[in-house]
Amino acid sequence: MTELEGRGDAWTEEREATKERPSDEGRRRHQAPRKRAASTAPDPVAPGEQSAPREQRVLRLGRREFGPRQLLVMAIVNRTPDSFYKPGITWDESAAMDRVHQVVTEGADIVDVGGVPAAPGSDVDATEEIRRTAGFIAAVRAAYPDVVISVDTWRHEVGREACAAGADLINDSWGGLDTRLAEVAAEAGAGVVCSHAGPQTPRTRPFRVAYADVMADVLDRTLALAARAERAGVDPARIVIDPAHDFGKNTWHSLEVTRRLADMTATGWPVLVSLSNKDFVGETLGVPPEERLPGTLASTSVSAWLGARIFRVHQVVETRQVLDMVSSIRGDRPPARTVRGLA
Amino acid sequence: MITAAALCPAPPLLARELTGADPVVPDLREACHQAAVALVASQPDVVAVVGTAAKTMGWDPGGRLDLAPYAPMLGAAQPAAGPPVPLPLGLGAALLDQAGYAGRRVLQSVSPDEPPAQCAELGADLAGLAGRVALLVMADGSARRGRRAPGHLDERSAPFDAEVERAVRDGDLGALLAVDPELARELMATGRPAWQVLAGALAGTRPATQIRYAADPFGVAYLVASLHVPPP
Repeated sequence: MTELEGRGDAWTEEREATKERPSDEGRRRHQAPRKRAASTAPDPVAPGEQSAPREQRVLRLGRREFGPRQLLVMAIVNRTPDSFYKPGITWDESAAMDRVHQVVTEGADIVDVGGVPAAPGSDVDATEEIRRTAGFIAAVRAAYPDVVISVDTWRHEVGREACAAGADLINDSWGGLDTRLAEVAAEAGAGVVCSHAGPQTPRTRPFRVAYADVMADVLDRTLALAARAERAGVDPARIVIDPAHDFGKNTWHSLEVTRRLADMTATGWPVLVSLSNKDFVGETLGVPPEERLPGTLASTSVSAWLGARIFRVHQVVETRQVLDMVSSIRGDRPPARTVRGLA
Repeated sequence: MITAAALCPAPPLLARELTGADPVVPDLREACHQAAVALVASQPDVVAVVGTAAKTMGWDPGGRLDLAPYAPMLGAAQPAAGPPVPLPLGLGAALLDQAGYAGRRVLQSVSPDEPPAQCAELGADLAGLAGRVALLVMADGSARRGRRAPGHLDERSAPFDAEVERAVRDGDLGALLAVDPELARELMATGRPAWQVLAGALAGTRPATQIRYAADPFGVAYLVASLHVPPP
């Protein structure tokens, strides 16, 4: 961890930023009035507080702008031999590029390139992670000048190389462990995803994790990270928050953050959800990874209804259909063709 | 007296807003638009819009199409520009708006239970509204023209609609007045009373007809026609 701050230090830094004493995973936080960082960013809104909800605003990613009612599909492209869902399927670079062609055709708005699986496994250092991602990102950028590219990494060195290669967004799934990541995003004019990974360090699994109020903890962490990113110079229109299902959470926690997602969307920050085929779906329905699509789509539908705007997924076509359906139910999208009962 | 008349169907899908991203029936809408344009071009003192609705009555001439009963979210987004009126009259009013007509108008509904003679009388009354009266008749044929039709298939629908089309084409007003209300009801041909208002309004004339559209893309007979009435 030479290039990283330890998890404890990172947490300490955030506690100071929010003018709070470090505490045991934020468990006491709900007991006292919560103070937050001074910032032009949207104020955190916690459950039970009477803060007025803030409206969602335009989101800028790369060259593109997305309105508050647009629902975006972020397609997962793993440059790994050992990710949990269909391991190694895009390990080969040409297979990975084929997948990019496919997901762009299927309507993905964002391509999320990752070089390290979330789960424990063989060591992947920054050099190897860069080797897996940066060149590939450059190739995707060359093929698709306008598609939004994100890089899934917690390391600022990787973020820097990825942005130099053409990435528009740094998807920091491990929740701001490397404090320089936001600086790198700011320097590159890129955006950043501010995630809640709980007390976990990268590539570990949650071990008996507990929260007095998981959504309060998610809000504290993600809003503090968003404020930090803004202070580091990241364009606020390029900052996204993510509750990070399964990261530092048992299934009960992930169900809870899904159920209460409106608490996050009420902050005004665009919310990304990464639900695709995850363990909380598998445990809830008692199904293995290859049978988790219905549960993933149900969670997608609920999250969209509660205001999430970006959906990180393996299955683009099915997700697009679900999001289109939600958009039409909301009245944001006309149906494709309506004749029934109208002739 | 009547100087011109137009016949158009009145399905909800004639309203562009209601068919979603797909226009579905652009040719039907264009035919109706052209019929309305021709009607307005006859320089009427008044345009009377006639269509079938629950009761025989006159409506506020400022009445406009209300989408809300058919698509609540659209109705909320685009409230009617005038007092809501029954669908055929609202669609007719929209056709007049789109044709650029801003003159005097009368919106008249006619009940499905109105006997042919009363329909004809109503037509004669409308013809006497002014020196130059144009009539926009919003009327549908049978809705039982196929297995996927709203009323499924009734074999009698094809000859029924063919006879109506022939009568309109030939200006055979007697044949329109002779359409049997009971058969029309069985065949879900909601336009029957409106056709008979047309026949009554044109009594004593010999109209020249242009058929602009005749098809049943969804199992309902749609007929679009322009009727020009030469001066006596």
